Amino acid sequence: MVYIAIIIGCVLGAVVGFNAPIVSYTYSNYLAIAIIAALDSVFGGIVATIKKNFDLKIFLTGFFGNAILSILLAILGEKLNVDIYLAAIIVFVGRMFTNLAIIRRYYLEKWTKMMDKRKNKKANKKESKKEQEV
Amino acid sequence: MKNKKVNIGLIISITITAFILGLTMVIQFKTVTETDITGIEVMREAELRTELSSWKSKYEDATSKISETDQKIADYTKEIDENKDISQLLANEVAEVEKIAGYTDVTGPGIRVVLEDTDKKQIIAEELMTLVNELKLAGAEAISINGERIIGLTDISNIDYKYIYINTASDLVVAKIDSPYVIEAIGNQKYLESSITIKYGFLDSMAGIGKKASYTLEDNIMIPKYNGTIEFKYASEIDE
Repeated sequence: MVYIAIIIGCVLGAVVGFNAPIVSYTYSNYLAIAIIAALDSVFGGIVATIKKNFDLKIFLTGFFGNAILSILLAILGEKLNVDIYLAAIIVFVGRMFTNLAIIRRYYLEKWTKMMDKRKNKKANKKESKKEQEV
Repeated sequence: MKNKKVNIGLIISITITAFILGLTMVIQFKTVTETDITGIEVMREAELRTELSSWKSKYEDATSKISETDQKIADYTKEIDENKDISQLLANEVAEVEKIAGYTDVTGPGIRVVLEDTDKKQIIAEELMTLVNELKLAGAEAISINGERIIGLTDISNIDYKYIYINTASDLVVAKIDSPYVIEAIGNQKYLESSITIKYGFLDSMAGIGKKASYTLEDNIMIPKYNGTIEFKYASEIDE
């Protein structure tokens, strides 16, 4: 259900976006950082779901808060003549990679478990060993 | 019930979030693809600065080139001004020499002598030569026979005593002339007239052998230029 909601939302957004006017190149900088921040929040949300401690409030505030904050920081950096947006990108993308790694491991384990369930009990023993290794 | 409510709120929020994310991302993609990065309106400040400085240096190069060229032009103009007198002098000299050599049309006061063949007597080359010589003696500056300019190398010769040829030398323009022979000369009219009308002079001698000769004084005689080319094959200048 949630996945369907995400897909519908993305498709709708894409359709609307295709018909929306383009923004000025100067502001597209800030928009890019906002997108990075939002994506970071999304991956963070996915990780939270995996870890079963997903909180909608945290997700929503993170999503919008991080986006707006990163835009503000980028603007501030522009004013100070310091490329703060680089720091934002490093932080967000770094976190994205971490979260992606967590997600990858989770699904890899899930997949491995699934494969092992089809095999006999000996395989189950091996799987527990693997878990210890990981 | 409670669980379902939470789920609906979650789904709605997730949908809205996904919508916003998709929207912004597509807008950003479109912006990046459709923007002409080379356009000056969309350049970032740093890019503009680089561009500006490169144009500035180009401008400075062009300016220095312009001033260089201006300097060259000034030099040339100065040189031309300095050489003006000399070139003017040379041009005058060339014009003078051409006049002497018979390479220009000339006009002025002079005399027109007409010699005509009659049934019994024919004009021969020697008589024309004598006449030309007399006119030269009287100070004629330009002479022509039937419109053929007499120059320094002009020859006048009989062919079979039927025709008179003028300027027959190989490099010159050959002209067959025929009666009536009209000799025109520019010079002092008094001298020219007296040189042929003097007692026992040209006209007297012609009359003595029964040949027809007459003359008129003209105030405005036009003598055409010599049309051939003169090439010296054998004679060369001596350096002094």
